[in-house]
Amino acid sequence: MQRAEEARSLPGVRMKIGLFIPCYIDAFYPNAGIATLELLEKLGQDVEYPMNQTCCGQPMANSGCNKDAAPAEALFVKNFAKYDAIVMPSGSCTHHVRDNFDAIEQTDEVRHVRENTFELVEFLHDVLKVQDFPWAEFPHKVGLHNSCGTLRALRTASMSELGEPFFSKPMDLLNKVKGISFATPKRPDECCGFGGTFSVTEEAVSAKMGTDKVRDHHQAGAEYIVSADTSCMMHQQGCAERAGVPIRFIHIAEILNGARE
Amino acid sequence: MKVKPVNHAKAAEAFIEDTAHMDFHDERLWDLRQKRDQQMHILPEWQELRARASAIKEHTLANLPEYLEQFEANAKKNGIHVHWAADGAEHNRIVGEILEKHGAKSLIKSKSMVTEECCMREYLEPRGVVVTETDLGERIQQLDDQMPSHIVVPAVHKLIPDVAKIFAKHYHTDPNDDDAQSLAWQQRLAARPVILSADAGMTGGNFVVAETGSFVVCTNEGNADLSATVPGLHIATIGIERLVPRMADMGVFIRMLSRSALGSPITQYTTHFRGPQKGSEMHVVLVDNGRSHRLGMEEFWTSLKCIRCGACMNTCPVYRRSGGLSYGAVYSGPIGAIIDPTFNERKYSTLPFASTMNGSCTNVCPVKINIHDQLYKWRRVLAEHHELPFVKREVMYMAGKLMGQPSLYRAAINSTEVALSTMPRFVLYNWLNPWGKHRELPHPVKQTFHSWYKQNRLKTKKKEGEGA
Amino acid sequence: MSTSRDAILTRLRDNRPDPKAHPLPPVARLGDMDNGQARFENSLQILGGQVLERQEGDTLATAIARRFPDSKVICSAVPDFEGTIRIEDLGTPQQAASVDVLVVRSPFGIAEMGSIYLSEAQLHDLNSAAHLTQHIVVILSPKNLTANMHTAYMDRPEFHTANYGVLMSGPSATADIQGVLIRGAQGVRTLSIWWED
Repeated sequence: MQRAEEARSLPGVRMKIGLFIPCYIDAFYPNAGIATLELLEKLGQDVEYPMNQTCCGQPMANSGCNKDAAPAEALFVKNFAKYDAIVMPSGSCTHHVRDNFDAIEQTDEVRHVRENTFELVEFLHDVLKVQDFPWAEFPHKVGLHNSCGTLRALRTASMSELGEPFFSKPMDLLNKVKGISFATPKRPDECCGFGGTFSVTEEAVSAKMGTDKVRDHHQAGAEYIVSADTSCMMHQQGCAERAGVPIRFIHIAEILNGARE
Repeated sequence: MKVKPVNHAKAAEAFIEDTAHMDFHDERLWDLRQKRDQQMHILPEWQELRARASAIKEHTLANLPEYLEQFEANAKKNGIHVHWAADGAEHNRIVGEILEKHGAKSLIKSKSMVTEECCMREYLEPRGVVVTETDLGERIQQLDDQMPSHIVVPAVHKLIPDVAKIFAKHYHTDPNDDDAQSLAWQQRLAARPVILSADAGMTGGNFVVAETGSFVVCTNEGNADLSATVPGLHIATIGIERLVPRMADMGVFIRMLSRSALGSPITQYTTHFRGPQKGSEMHVVLVDNGRSHRLGMEEFWTSLKCIRCGACMNTCPVYRRSGGLSYGAVYSGPIGAIIDPTFNERKYSTLPFASTMNGSCTNVCPVKINIHDQLYKWRRVLAEHHELPFVKREVMYMAGKLMGQPSLYRAAINSTEVALSTMPRFVLYNWLNPWGKHRELPHPVKQTFHSWYKQNRLKTKKKEGEGA
Repeated sequence: MSTSRDAILTRLRDNRPDPKAHPLPPVARLGDMDNGQARFENSLQILGGQVLERQEGDTLATAIARRFPDSKVICSAVPDFEGTIRIEDLGTPQQAASVDVLVVRSPFGIAEMGSIYLSEAQLHDLNSAAHLTQHIVVILSPKNLTANMHTAYMDRPEFHTANYGVLMSGPSATADIQGVLIRGAQGVRTLSIWWED
């Protein structure tokens, strides 16, 4: 079995990848899933989407009902244990698998899955070390939304609270796309208020945060909000549409895969 | 009857509807966060300070009985009377007895979260003691009969006209006064005679130094110094977790406290009390009120490191948009949400869910409390202790079962496929309706990813396989 | 002996995390070690304090008279300045409340914060005088500046000896009404430094 760990030092290697597509991408944003798959294929990877997949267990675990996450976690391991790497276009799901996936017994198999699960951006940036996306061109001004999962749990970008030197893996990747430019919102790493079930149990605060977020990007001149997390964007899109903020949404995989608009 | 959990969501919704107050509240606290960031950038050693502060606090908590005994011995040597209160009721009784012994009928006090915890005013006032808060924000809250909405800026949810109305009612000033400077002056004029004639003064204590038997109070208005030095009797109420071992440790904390809280380098007053003034009496009441119990909670004891700077509140996007009063507790915001359930699990069971767990609170905390991790852990504990709403538990139970069975899951998805007009019902069940209240629903799509993959990859792969 | 005391200490002993896992870090001397007058003045200004203007030929008395022309009661807590009343003669806080300007000498200042230190030694046991006066003028020597909070706490003996020791960093301030910064909330309305050699 080719371990993703080992492959990190071997750019260009072909890995057997299990693709996980979270439920809301499956149901509402299939294009983000398709772009992820096509992009990994273009980059020469051997990608499979296990048909029996459901969920990573995050909604149950985040609600405190960790025991109820066990069936989903067990199935996840069953579906993905055979792959070198498990890749998903979702920061929060990756965070769950990597950091909180403990409703089931921690066997070697479970540990393998947890250690080799990657969010798409970090997989492209850190494991495949992709240097360029010759097919990609996106002549638009975009506002980059880093979800809290990618930012503060997966650490794919520097966090404003720590005063650390600037870095941004998603921006590194997007900078390799022709024609793209970035808007600078006033509160770049403020949470957008999705927060899973928070979006319904605390709907007023959630919607206010989302509306403030899309306004901030719009006022900074963004035509699009681009993110590695579709759940945040599903929420923000709902807020933008209700508030009449003219801004569009696109998953980072779609831009990197060559979407023009 | 069982205590009802705080309805944070409902209170927050009402807060948001008042746009003028809400927007100011958000901007004001965000401004404090920005100022805090500027201060952090000035100090290259910021992260080292945080690490040291955390280590000193953890060490002190692990050795708390010894340090408390050391403090007590030194404080007594300095002439301080030291009292121990197991809970709020005992604290109030002790303070009441000290005041009675001195025949004290008027007490001026500076801000103290512990006295809020103990509901001290409510205890003393029926016993004939007039308690006057001297911190401006705290006084506004006292006159308005509200709890502080923030641990550092207690009246941050109010605008100038609100204060003008409150002062007009109590101080007979102009209800239309729209000048903050003039309102603050009214408070100074009203407070001076009360301060000068008070029988006793009370302060809290930000830090307690075991080595010297002293305690340190940090304020900006000078009201704590007035409360402590004008009357001949000074009582300080302090939580037992406020210890630090050595005076030399104070540098680490003082350098971060006000920078984290308000983005100012230091509070205007940093006062070190080591013994009574000449001709005066000084008492320290060490309050437990659940702290020794919390020290035994493996996942939550580090919340005792808190130095009450309020940085987690200022950065919290949920707090900024819901206001401190929506938490229905003495401690609000992220730190409140992890402390409050230790006082009453049922009443505060909703607070760890009043968070997106975005983690910004943890990053700004000067003593490195893993606040958002503790929020996550509290959710588990509350679920295990059956403190979640019935519907939520049921939904998660059903969803959990469904997620383990691919065919049922797929059937559930497919039943909503194509004509998707709602969130997948298996995820959100009947809590769905709130989504659409202030937001549009996601758009229906022609085909799920699953179905697309089946059509575009599995079939091709099969064909390739057949061809080979 | 209070029974609550023993109960609390016993519970803490039972519940505490392993002390061996949490050693005490050694005391640290961190940060900028500049103890210069310029750094102090810059910090002082950030916190709303000021340096008392010194024109050619000025004495402390003429400088105070120019800065606080309406002051009637000028109280001195130092031997080398007259004023209209001496702090020893005030007696009570109620009398201290009538003071317009208090002149006092600080044993040291902290460059990082623009803070000055006062204790009962400087205030002649009338600690409230420092807060009841409308304005305070603090005599300070640049020789007595320490660099930052670490050096202050490590090097100054006063923190171990004084019963009352206050670091004042500018005047009293508040921003409790709609975030408007107001200097001179409850304590002194202004704080001025008078440099001496």
